[in-house]
Amino acid sequence: MGDERISYRGPIKRLLVSPEIGALIGAVVVWAFFWGNGDKFGTAGSTANFLDVAAPLGIMAVVVSLLMIGGEFDLSAGVMTGASGVTIALMAKYFTEGGISLWVCIPAAFLLAGCVGWWNGFLVNRTGLPSFIVTLGSFFVIKGANLVFAKRINSKVNVADVDKAHGYSFFKALLGGENAFGDMKYRDLIFIVGGLLFAALLVLGLIEQSLVRKQSASVAELVIAIAGLGAAIAGVLILHRTDSINGNFLAGVLGLVGTVVAIVFYSRARFEGREKIVGALPDESKRFLAFGVFGVLVASFAGRLFDRNEERVMLQWMPGTLRMVVAVLAALFPLAMTIRSFARGDREVRGRVIASLIVRLPVICLVSLIGIVALLQLTTVQAVRAVVITAAGTGAAVCFYQSRRAVAKVSTKWFLTIGVLMSGSFVFVAFALRADSSAARFRGGIFTSLLLMATLILATTIVEATNRARTAPHEKADVLGRRMVLVGMILGSIALTVRLLLSDGVFRMSVFWWLFFTIVGSFVLTKTKYGNWIFAVGGNKDAARATGVPADKVKTALFIATSLMGAFVGAMILMRLNSVQAQQGDGQEFEYIIAAVVGGNLMTGGYGSVIGASLGALIMAISKNGIPAARWNQDGRFIFLGAVLLVSVLVNNYVRKKANEQR
Amino acid sequence: MTATNPLLELDNVSKYFGNVKALENVSTKVVAGQVTCVLGDNGAGKSTFIKIISGLHKPSTGSYKFEGHEVSFESPREARALGIATVYQDLAMAPLMSVWRNFFLGSEPMRRFGPINVIDAKFARKTAKEEMAKLGIDVRDIDQPVGTLSGGERQSVAIARAVYFGARVLILDEPTSALGVRQSDLVLGYVRAAAARDLGVILITHNPQHALPVGDRFLILNRGQSIGQFEKADLTYERLIELMSGRIQAA
Repeated sequence: MGDERISYRGPIKRLLVSPEIGALIGAVVVWAFFWGNGDKFGTAGSTANFLDVAAPLGIMAVVVSLLMIGGEFDLSAGVMTGASGVTIALMAKYFTEGGISLWVCIPAAFLLAGCVGWWNGFLVNRTGLPSFIVTLGSFFVIKGANLVFAKRINSKVNVADVDKAHGYSFFKALLGGENAFGDMKYRDLIFIVGGLLFAALLVLGLIEQSLVRKQSASVAELVIAIAGLGAAIAGVLILHRTDSINGNFLAGVLGLVGTVVAIVFYSRARFEGREKIVGALPDESKRFLAFGVFGVLVASFAGRLFDRNEERVMLQWMPGTLRMVVAVLAALFPLAMTIRSFARGDREVRGRVIASLIVRLPVICLVSLIGIVALLQLTTVQAVRAVVITAAGTGAAVCFYQSRRAVAKVSTKWFLTIGVLMSGSFVFVAFALRADSSAARFRGGIFTSLLLMATLILATTIVEATNRARTAPHEKADVLGRRMVLVGMILGSIALTVRLLLSDGVFRMSVFWWLFFTIVGSFVLTKTKYGNWIFAVGGNKDAARATGVPADKVKTALFIATSLMGAFVGAMILMRLNSVQAQQGDGQEFEYIIAAVVGGNLMTGGYGSVIGASLGALIMAISKNGIPAARWNQDGRFIFLGAVLLVSVLVNNYVRKKANEQR
Repeated sequence: MTATNPLLELDNVSKYFGNVKALENVSTKVVAGQVTCVLGDNGAGKSTFIKIISGLHKPSTGSYKFEGHEVSFESPREARALGIATVYQDLAMAPLMSVWRNFFLGSEPMRRFGPINVIDAKFARKTAKEEMAKLGIDVRDIDQPVGTLSGGERQSVAIARAVYFGARVLILDEPTSALGVRQSDLVLGYVRAAAARDLGVILITHNPQHALPVGDRFLILNRGQSIGQFEKADLTYERLIELMSGRIQAA
């Protein structure tokens, strides 16, 4: 018996059910938000800075997320970093007369951490107590021990000058080394070529996975597609070379039109067409279209609502504060309408609902971040403007998308019309923002990004309207498409790495270790049987045990891994700073947990992703770094963290309940 | 040979916990390709009966033979090694894990990837799908979480898993108790499909309506006592109900 309720999932939908996608979208949005708002944010130097902030958090988030998927918490994880630092530093200075080699101290700290982890796991398994309680005990014991030993042996809480110990230079290079590579002539060219290849392979790969292949490709259309591609490349190259405004304009148009032509004709040449459907515009579509247009207007004129130049301000009869409130409410309106329609819709299969909830989680967090920052910053005109533009623009985009989706199976003509309107409104907002702002970011970067988005929307709308979507798996095409996306992502990452490394930024080894542990953790979780066991132990411990999984051993191993990683991070920070505060890491455990939760990990265990947790750490680091860069009040961050945690728990509970319900 | 050589045979088995008689003088046999139903109201001793067969308890008296040899299990693992698989009511599944991950949980197929062993996901996906198809279940998306399946489909995953991992005797503990009418019918269909693959199936239930259409042999328990063992030909629905309620003794 086939289940007709579970339909074929295209590549985009498959992507949307993966746990880390929400965090990825979140990271991109937060980055773009601060990139648009802080002039100092987004340069290679500041990227190196926030990656350095993110690295210890990210490394810990990797193991904490594994532990969380395994159904447990470790509140002693944060203070463990301090314990490791204190142990190494004290031993290196005082263990024998004149101290002892780091080759002994660091393994000793790891041994100690391993014992703490084993003890946590042992107690949780043996007593069946919640790990919150057990590790809270460990937290206080270790915290106390850190202070007592630091004060007794060193007579103050700060243990400094480890650099005199034997083996320092090696461990400094390994754990805290700095890498600066300086400029390179072809850096920007490599970045541009890599970026273009990434975009092209991504688009081609997604097309390959979602359309139905023709028996044989049509040559004439293929030639047009190649011509379009040529025009696009020419446009980019001219843009890179010239500086005159007219030249830029022409080259930009050439590049964008070429891109659309290339994508559309490539799809026509290699893939089957689709029947035209004729039908009336449904009400849902109309409604969302109206919200979308409203959002676009708010985003476009937000600049005019608050301006230092009084003459240009619209709605002058209103008091300034009222004007701001009205603007914020108006900006949130399209978003609110979309969320309402999501909440009401019951057409989705439960699995999809669960997945979309998890996807929505980081988005909810973002909205709360932006909302809270806005509340705290209502006095800063620039901040409100940024919030209003972001919220209204995002809401408008979502509404246009909903409107287009509602008409997709009804009328080809209206589908195309709404797609073109959506694309056009991006162009409109781009020009409105450019006209209104003096910041280079708005005039250059954001303007270009918006136009690129408009181009992609136009191209995908035409492809969706004229090509038939695949409704069944096609193994060869799926594999080919996936490989294209993968290769594109690798090339893109290489280009980005080159761009970041060969610059004025100073990159520390911590970033490398973060990347390393993320890859290892993700590999273990998704590709090995131990990962399977971790999922099972967190999802249903009795089931895991009944099928022969050594549940207690898995949990103990996870606790040990968490403590060991705490020791690693402690050593890393010690090598970086050359000194350690005995209170280091206090309270950090909650940030690790929040990073994991923001990354799509269920607090109740059994579901999640290591990459997501890393991205969660990235989101937190970006906001930590971006808020001061935008010259806003840093303290608001904690309100954000609290709100995120609360919202996550609520969503988690809901997801869990839904997943266990009988249909 | 099927009728004369039972896979599993219990003879006058009793189980005492201190001075509580949980089960007394129960005899039955399980034949490959047939379904033996164990019926009884709550507290009739059905759970004790399963636990003895699956190796969790040892019988206090009486004999337990598997393929004609006397056996005495120290743990469920030993019973499982002989091919006696139990599908409990909670099904031993993690709701948020995908169908194929649950299917192979604890016995993941491995493949060498350079120096390390990784799960052979391709094989696992394909096999899980094929095995379920053999029972007549078409799970279109083997990657969806088990929690999104209906109760009947979840049972089917558990049954298919037990069959694939070499079960020869399949014990199903109240597989229909939490299900609606349509879902129950589906599950009973899977039970028959499993028996058709030459497994001996033990179906524990308190619902005579579910037992009668699929069972070949019926063991009826009441308050720890065996009311008797009947072949399908000797029973009607009314008589089954009477026997279960304990109003009359077996003739």
